Amino acid sequence: MTPKRISARTRNEWVTAYAFLLPNTLGLLTFVFIPIVYAFYVSLHDWNALSPKVFAGFANYKELLHDSLWWDSVLKTLLFSVVYVPALYVLALGSALLLNVLRGRVVGPVRTMFLMPFAITSIISAIIGMYMLDPRNGVINHLLGFAGIGPQQFLGSTSQAMLSIIGVILWINIGYNMIIFLSAIKEIPRDYYEAAEIDGATGWKAFRHITFPLLRETSTFILIVTMIGSFQAFDQIVVMTKGGPASATEVSVLYIFKQGFELLNMGYASALAFVLFLIIFSVSIFQLKLLSKRN
Amino acid sequence: MGYLLITQLLKGVTDTMKKRWKGLGVAVLTLTMLLQAACGNSGGGGQSAGSNAPEGAEQTENAGSGKKVKLKFWDFHSEKEEEFFKGLVDEYNKIQDNVVIEYSTFNQTDYTTTKLPTGFASGEGPDIYMISPGDFMKFAKSGLMADLTPYFPDGAKEDFLPASLDAVTVDGKILALPYELELLGLYYNEQMLKDAGVEVPKTWDELYAAAKKLTTDKVAGLILPPDKGPYFNFIWYPFLWQQGGNVLSEDGATSTFNTPETAKALDFWGRFFKEGISPTKLQQGPWEIDHLGKKTAAMQIVGTWAINRAEEVFGDVPINVAPLPIPEGGKAATDAGGWKFAVNGKSEHVDEAAKFVMWAFAEDPERALKWCTEIKFAYSPRASVVEKGKEIYSKGMRKVFTEQIYDSAIPEPRYPSEVLDVVGDAMQYVMFDKFDGAGAAAEVDAKINEAIKAANK
Repeated sequence: MTPKRISARTRNEWVTAYAFLLPNTLGLLTFVFIPIVYAFYVSLHDWNALSPKVFAGFANYKELLHDSLWWDSVLKTLLFSVVYVPALYVLALGSALLLNVLRGRVVGPVRTMFLMPFAITSIISAIIGMYMLDPRNGVINHLLGFAGIGPQQFLGSTSQAMLSIIGVILWINIGYNMIIFLSAIKEIPRDYYEAAEIDGATGWKAFRHITFPLLRETSTFILIVTMIGSFQAFDQIVVMTKGGPASATEVSVLYIFKQGFELLNMGYASALAFVLFLIIFSVSIFQLKLLSKRN
Repeated sequence: MGYLLITQLLKGVTDTMKKRWKGLGVAVLTLTMLLQAACGNSGGGGQSAGSNAPEGAEQTENAGSGKKVKLKFWDFHSEKEEEFFKGLVDEYNKIQDNVVIEYSTFNQTDYTTTKLPTGFASGEGPDIYMISPGDFMKFAKSGLMADLTPYFPDGAKEDFLPASLDAVTVDGKILALPYELELLGLYYNEQMLKDAGVEVPKTWDELYAAAKKLTTDKVAGLILPPDKGPYFNFIWYPFLWQQGGNVLSEDGATSTFNTPETAKALDFWGRFFKEGISPTKLQQGPWEIDHLGKKTAAMQIVGTWAINRAEEVFGDVPINVAPLPIPEGGKAATDAGGWKFAVNGKSEHVDEAAKFVMWAFAEDPERALKWCTEIKFAYSPRASVVEKGKEIYSKGMRKVFTEQIYDSAIPEPRYPSEVLDVVGDAMQYVMFDKFDGAGAAAEVDAKINEAIKAANK
């Protein structure tokens, strides 16, 4: 083979590779990078979307430093993450393990049951969740009644609303994560368990020394994606509480939406969005580093 | 479900992201939405039920009849109401040769939060649109509402209720055309009151006692809106006005919120929620009469719009209406809400657009009457229309509004959205026990002044 022929072939491969990358790159440019740059530009202005923009330098950024409602919303977002992520991890893994032991006809229906809330549009699932949590006529209070517990306010209570929302979003997302765990568990060779059994390791020991270590990569993936997803919680919250009652569930994205589209403070909302972007970006980079170190 | 657009965007954006990068989705989504605001409606937002919005007002060639001006009319009505406006547009397009109006209608939540702002921001907004008191000042100050004063037909101005025109006048210019007045009343289930041995409440104390007595495990005593927003404030204002209180000074320049009247109105409001008489969470809009219709509530404060539905859909439920109860020594007051027609002040065809608006609701009273009586039930701000519909206005529950409520109506104030927001905060403070009425009024007073400053920036 002459060097010339190699380069021609390489070039062809390159062209093909770039051709495949092109649609995604264009999409990213149009819908991701240009808006980021533009939002930064807008964030340097005072703008209500109706009148011309007035340059304001970093005034919006200075303002957000002292905006206690904004930092409250960031805190609520973090709180949401801290409860939601571990809960999802434990419940998804737990249900995957349970499903793995199940045999026979029951497996299909049970798996469907877990996956159903995820398969439905998340808005619809959130609405169903909202009805189940209705203080007067909801099924959850009905069930609590059997246990002798009086009716709870759930989404209508400042102290219970966030937990109720976390509950509904967990209910929606457990199925999907469970399937990922389940497929990872199924890929662990049976030989390992058989060998362990000969050595007397079954049940909890087998899980601790075989299953859990071998699920490490899947676990890392799920933890990262879920953590990041928790910063994204928006649509279900809008449907269930619109950030209420008394701002108890007003996470950062909702606050940005309120500033931008209800109060028409587009410049300020852009500054908030940009700061949130930086926060998520830093968290993502940090996690990527952590992940690559482990690998 | 006004947020479907966002949800779709969220899905679209996140789908294109892979695994770990998915995290940027939210920030990017928000940025994308803001870009949308800047670059107009090219992203296909909103749910147009009418024709597609044209690309700017422009001259268009029309076979045989020379050049016609193309006007965009954006609306938010649906179903029967959408049909009415579509019908108006079709009729107007037929009876004259100068303009062609293109009608589009959008989901109501998108309409005020994203559709109009993004449309105007990109210079592709409508020539004709609807405006509510909550957004009025922002649009007026941005030059997006043309002065309609010169376009009123002779004698038409005198036909309008003066207060209704005052509510849309800025610096002596009438910036919008009111076409409906929606009044609030206390609706109740006669049977439930009778069974509980409760009289129709006339005072605050009676309202509280009745609502408390009527509350059971399955039935809410009184439905009030629990979630923040313009409607939330709209329902509360009468309680403040009945005692002579107000949110702002008459010139709108300073807060008059920190008063005993405000404290009393807030405490009264909060009590219903704190004691579980009014639910803090509703499955249906607080403006839907369905709470009474489905017998999940005994009383509800809601507007004239509920009458048609109460009669047509819930005819078998004994629903009746009474004036809003008043405090000891107070005077009757109710809110008169309603949308207004506006013409884009930046449109190249203000003249043509204003003529259509006047034709629709300031000329022949038939059209206004049809809107207020057949399509929905509301009062017309025009004396001639109310006179013409006398018979309808004295039918059933309408009679209560006409004879006992109409005279106490005060037009919904056009406060800036920043003010609306902090007043809503005060109401939530008392509902969720963060402050009592006096504490909430004091806490929010300074914020209202700040909000006025921010709005006047």
